[in-house]
This record gives sequence, C-alpha cells and structure tokens, in this order.
Amino acid sequence: MSTKKAGAKPDESSIDALINLSDKLKENKAKSMSLTDVIGVAELLTSSLQPLLRQIDSTIHTELRSILLRIEGLRHEIAKVRADDISDHQIPEMGKELSAIVEATEGATNSIMNCAETVLEIETDNFEDYKQIVSDQMMTIFEACSFQDLTGQRVTKIVQTVEIIEERINLLCEMLDMGDEDKNQAEEELNANQKRNKELLLNGPANEGEGVNQSAIDALF
Amino acid sequence: MALDVSMPILIVDDYATMIRIIRNLLKQVGFTNVDDAADGTQALERIGKKKYDLIISDWNMEPMTGYELLKQVRASSETARTPFIMVTAESKTENVIAAKKAGVNNYIVKPFNAQTLKGKIDAVFGE
Repeated sequence: MSTKKAGAKPDESSIDALINLSDKLKENKAKSMSLTDVIGVAELLTSSLQPLLRQIDSTIHTELRSILLRIEGLRHEIAKVRADDISDHQIPEMGKELSAIVEATEGATNSIMNCAETVLEIETDNFEDYKQIVSDQMMTIFEACSFQDLTGQRVTKIVQTVEIIEERINLLCEMLDMGDEDKNQAEEELNANQKRNKELLLNGPANEGEGVNQSAIDALF
Repeated sequence: MALDVSMPILIVDDYATMIRIIRNLLKQVGFTNVDDAADGTQALERIGKKKYDLIISDWNMEPMTGYELLKQVRASSETARTPFIMVTAESKTENVIAAKKAGVNNYIVKPFNAQTLKGKIDAVFGE
C-alpha cells in the first residue's frame, strides 16, 4: 500500500512556521525551552501532518474496498463451485456406487468359484450326471458374469462425477491463484496416517505397459 | 528344506476372495494343509501359535502390511528362515528390491496361475 501520493504534503505556511520555530530554538539552544514553545512545536507538527494523515486514511479506505470487492467476487465464484453439493451428494453417491461395485464383483467371484469348486469335486462315474452338473454350473457362471455390465455402468457414473469434481477444483485453484508452492505446502501437511500409507502401501495394480513383468522380477531373484 | 506337500502353509491377504483363489491353486498343485490370516497382525498371531513351513503374503494390507510382516518374521529367531513369498498386484522394481533386501524368498505378481505359484514354491525349496 503506497502513502507517497501527490497532495499528501503539509501546506507551505506550516512548513515555514516550523522552520522559523526550529531556527528560534537553535539560537536559544543553551537555554531551557518553555512550555509554550513545546506546545507550539506540537501544534505545528500536528497541523503539518493533517493532510498526510487524510491521504493515508483515503488510501487505506480504497485498499480495503478493493479487498472487500475481491472477497465478494471470490464468494460468488466459490458458490459456483457448489462445494456443498459435492460433499452432500456427489461424494456420498460415489461411495455408494463403489460399495455396490465391490459387492457385485465379490458376489460374482464367489458364485464363479462355487461353480468351479463344485465341478472339481464331482464324484460320479455316470457321464450323463457329470455332464448335467457341469452344464448347470457353466450356466451359473454365465449368469454371474453379468456383473461386468452393471459394474461398467457404475464405473462410468463415477468417472463422470470425478471429472465434474476435478473441473470445479481446478476452477477454485485458478481463482485462488494456487501455485506449486501452495501445493507443496499442502503435501507437507499430510497427516501421519496418510504419510504412513504413502510410504508403506503400494499404489495397486500397474497400468498396461507400466511396472515390471514376472520375468524381470524372476531375474532379480 | 525339502518340499513336502503336507507342509503347513499360511496365506495372508485382506481379500477373502484372493485367499480362496490361492487356497484352490495350492490345492490344485497338491498342498492342502493351508491356514489363512486377513492381515499382518493376524498372521503374527497365527505364527505365534503354530509353526508354518511357508508364508504366502499380500503386500497391501491394513493395519500391518505384508512388508512389515516380512520384517517382523525375519526379526524373530524362530521364523527368520521361514520361506516367505510376496504376492502383489504392484510390480515396481524398487518394491521388489525392498522386499528382497528385507529377506523375501520370492515375489509373484497378480494375477498368476497354479503353474507360476508351483514354480515359485519349487524355487524357494530348491526343487
């Protein structure tokens, strides 16, 4: 905030009066100053600072007003991000979708494994009976595989929601002018549990073309 | 240590489905004496009560990871030489090296089949 603006200077008559008084005091420097002289200096100093103080007051007012307008603008922009909608609806909805996916895949896997175990454990010498059991179990496997269609639809919904959230977070970062420095600081502020997970847990399956294959691992051993 | 199909094996994984898959793969190649645990902490409890000749563990588990379990197993004089195979979906070289330095005997990347599992067990037991 700058206070060095035109018009902030004391008027010339005050300056002249101050110079005169200063000269007068220098001439009488060996003698003690009277109370009247001290009051006179104080009055002159105060009056000479008045224009400057008025200018500072006006500058502060202008600066505060611009800060207020900026905050007001940010409030409108943040309202557009609709953070409450994300936390109240979109994230809980995603959680439900993910739970449903876990349940569906677990259910399907168990059904398929049950069938496989049933087939592996068939103890009959009758070929027709054997064929019938295998056929029934294969049909159950086909039915269980329908989970892929349902979970695929749920995953698509989640991806769409994540994209919306990403878009809104990017918007917020742009509004707040968040740079790499802010992001690095946020990284440093990860809590102990998150740090532990980051250090000790792996990131899960590698994508196609990433990571090393079993042969490369075997070579390490 | 010679390979014995009746040897006690401990599978450690937080996914019941994965435990079931490994159990069936082991059964397919002849191993039937199999116990399981849902994470490192539970595995240590099992190991404290029973001697296992082979531990097959996932890496990503809470509250104790497979890597932490491996280090604890190696730190104990009773289990320091127990064969330990790490099974994980992640295959970054640095993780494999970290596990090797911690004393893992072999490392399998998911998904895998019965032959791969048998091959690693054979390799660990020098068959």
